Amino acid sequence: MFELLKSMMKEEWRSHSTMFGSMMFALFPVMIAIFSFAGSLFLPLFTTILAADKIALLAHYTFVIFGLSVGAFGLSGREIINRRFGQASLIAYSSKSLPVSERKIFMNFCVKDVIYYFTFWILPFMAGLAFALPFMTVSLDYLLVFSTLSLSFFIGLSAMFLLSTLYAHSSRILFGLLAIIGVPLIFLGLYFGVDLPSSLPSFSFFVSRSWEDLAFALFLIVVPSAVSLAFPKMDYPEKKRMYRNSLAGLSKKLDLLGNSHFISKDIIDMQRSEGGLGKILFAFIFPVAFIWVLLFVFLKFVPIADFLLVFSILLGVLASSIYEWLTEFDIFTSYVFLPVKVSTLMKSKIKGYAIINIVPLSILFLTAIWLNQLQDLVIAMAAFLSVSSFTLSIKIYLTGLYPNILLYSAKIFVMFLFAASPVLLPMIILSIINPLYLLASPVLMLLSFYIIKKGFAKWDKTESVYF
Amino acid sequence: MEYVIEASGLTKKFGALKAVDGLSLSIKKGELFGLLGPNGSGKTTTIKLLTGQLKPLDGRARVMNVDVLKNPIRVKELVGIIPEQETPPSFLTAEEYLNFVCKIRKIENAENRCKKWLKFLEFEDQKDVLCKDLSRGTRQKLMFAQAFIHEPKLAFIDEPLINLDPVIQRKVKDFLQGFVKRGGTIFFSTHVLEIAEEICTRIAIIDKGRIIYEGRIKDLKRKKQHLEGLFLKMVKEA
Repeated sequence: MFELLKSMMKEEWRSHSTMFGSMMFALFPVMIAIFSFAGSLFLPLFTTILAADKIALLAHYTFVIFGLSVGAFGLSGREIINRRFGQASLIAYSSKSLPVSERKIFMNFCVKDVIYYFTFWILPFMAGLAFALPFMTVSLDYLLVFSTLSLSFFIGLSAMFLLSTLYAHSSRILFGLLAIIGVPLIFLGLYFGVDLPSSLPSFSFFVSRSWEDLAFALFLIVVPSAVSLAFPKMDYPEKKRMYRNSLAGLSKKLDLLGNSHFISKDIIDMQRSEGGLGKILFAFIFPVAFIWVLLFVFLKFVPIADFLLVFSILLGVLASSIYEWLTEFDIFTSYVFLPVKVSTLMKSKIKGYAIINIVPLSILFLTAIWLNQLQDLVIAMAAFLSVSSFTLSIKIYLTGLYPNILLYSAKIFVMFLFAASPVLLPMIILSIINPLYLLASPVLMLLSFYIIKKGFAKWDKTESVYF
Repeated sequence: MEYVIEASGLTKKFGALKAVDGLSLSIKKGELFGLLGPNGSGKTTTIKLLTGQLKPLDGRARVMNVDVLKNPIRVKELVGIIPEQETPPSFLTAEEYLNFVCKIRKIENAENRCKKWLKFLEFEDQKDVLCKDLSRGTRQKLMFAQAFIHEPKLAFIDEPLINLDPVIQRKVKDFLQGFVKRGGTIFFSTHVLEIAEEICTRIAIIDKGRIIYEGRIKDLKRKKQHLEGLFLKMVKEA
């Protein structure tokens, strides 16, 4: 029993450290602690715009979501692991070939996830908060926060174990159960005015400190996990998906762009992968909304800064995350035996990136209308396009076709921050001194062009990387 | 004598492991050359070095008169390669993938060529299935088709028959022998000795990154020597 758990722990560590290098991966918890420390110091600022209980509620839901994503990655991440390492087989999926029951494997898998992610993610986060406590002006019951945030994480994790187990048995059972639970909840919220978001038991316990809430939180952790363990199933029902040939037609339509077959392939990848194009938009719009709220908080303290211009700069940084999505579905192993340069593939990603930048540009346009600042739109657009291309160029240079992997290396992430910050901060300051200075920002695009060219040369020379 | 592959002193290390150790080879046009060796002996690394997928630590190689180190893309344009692992892009269908390869290789009559290969390898009924949902055998057929779709004069194939059913295996073997008869050259890596003995004209045995034997199958047959016996003896002695 313990041997299995030990092997799974080793496997988890090695799969991560193979991607990022042991040292760089080991430094990641340190980075989480530093960010949590810095974020905690700013907490008093947030309380001026958002009530403390709302901030606490957001924090608890963030931990629930984190629990959900850890569980989801662990249980449905075989596709991702296979893309990174080739036909990899994890211990979690080995019940068919080893004389170990699926229940035993699943139980060890759950324990492993709890220990691993609690140690390397939750604890560093809480350590950062602990270090910040002496410097914070808000009073905080640290032990209570620690307990309830951890409970939130476990609620999310346990819920995902149950959802994925149900899905593995039958998607009908899953959606049926979601309907049985969801419909009455919506009814309660709409007709009886029950504040559903605040009913998260870990949060309720944080607010009320009542034993009933704690018991309910523990119930939400123990029961879904127990049900999953009682009926374990880790192999999802796989369907053979079929499509008519759409690559030929799409490449013909995009012929003007050059390398249209690569761009068409990217579009098809995004459409046919789980969640389709919607997931990219969602993954982009969620941080944009977050930045929006943050800006409203901070600009209260720097009233001379212009919301639209600072937003356009930060939007440019966020837009570069589109490159991560564009590279998510490709590994160069699929091309290494064909006459294709790494730079050719990168060029097609850049073209796709340029096309999808219409989305953030539209957001910027709508923001200008909403703020009644259409007269500043040209300056904002210049700043956005410059920052978007500049951050993209740094990502390309540092991570090539693997931003989703290499940006998790603490060293590369710090290099990215150090390369981007000296440009972004002065731009924000210049926008305060005189917004017209930002009209000179397209110079950055020339610099970006140079960095991208250097990136092409660097990655064409680098021997194909197999993650 | 026209050599299509010439390699001398090729060396490749992965950390402390010497995967290929000073390998030298010359392969003439029209040969069906088999590189045989136990698991982990350096067969796949040799193919990757000869086709510019990996860079050697030392040594040089020329393929179809092109310096591999200087111009790997040109080599990949000229030859067909079937990699050991079948990794077609996950979300394209089989037909779309062949179309995609045709676009990369700038082939004009892509549609006809795709149809021809789908029919020849008997997977027309799978053409609309996503690559990630294809069986390993069908994925291997797909990789075979992509390697020959541009009608190369030289092909490097790494364990090409391992997942195929006996009917398709026979078809592929006949195709490879016919390809060589029409003036093509095949560099074939396998550890299935029966296949090598049946179709190769010349073989080399590689172990621990070094060539430990080179000879013609015809000569072995003349001496009434079996490839399996020779292989076991050579690997044991090495």
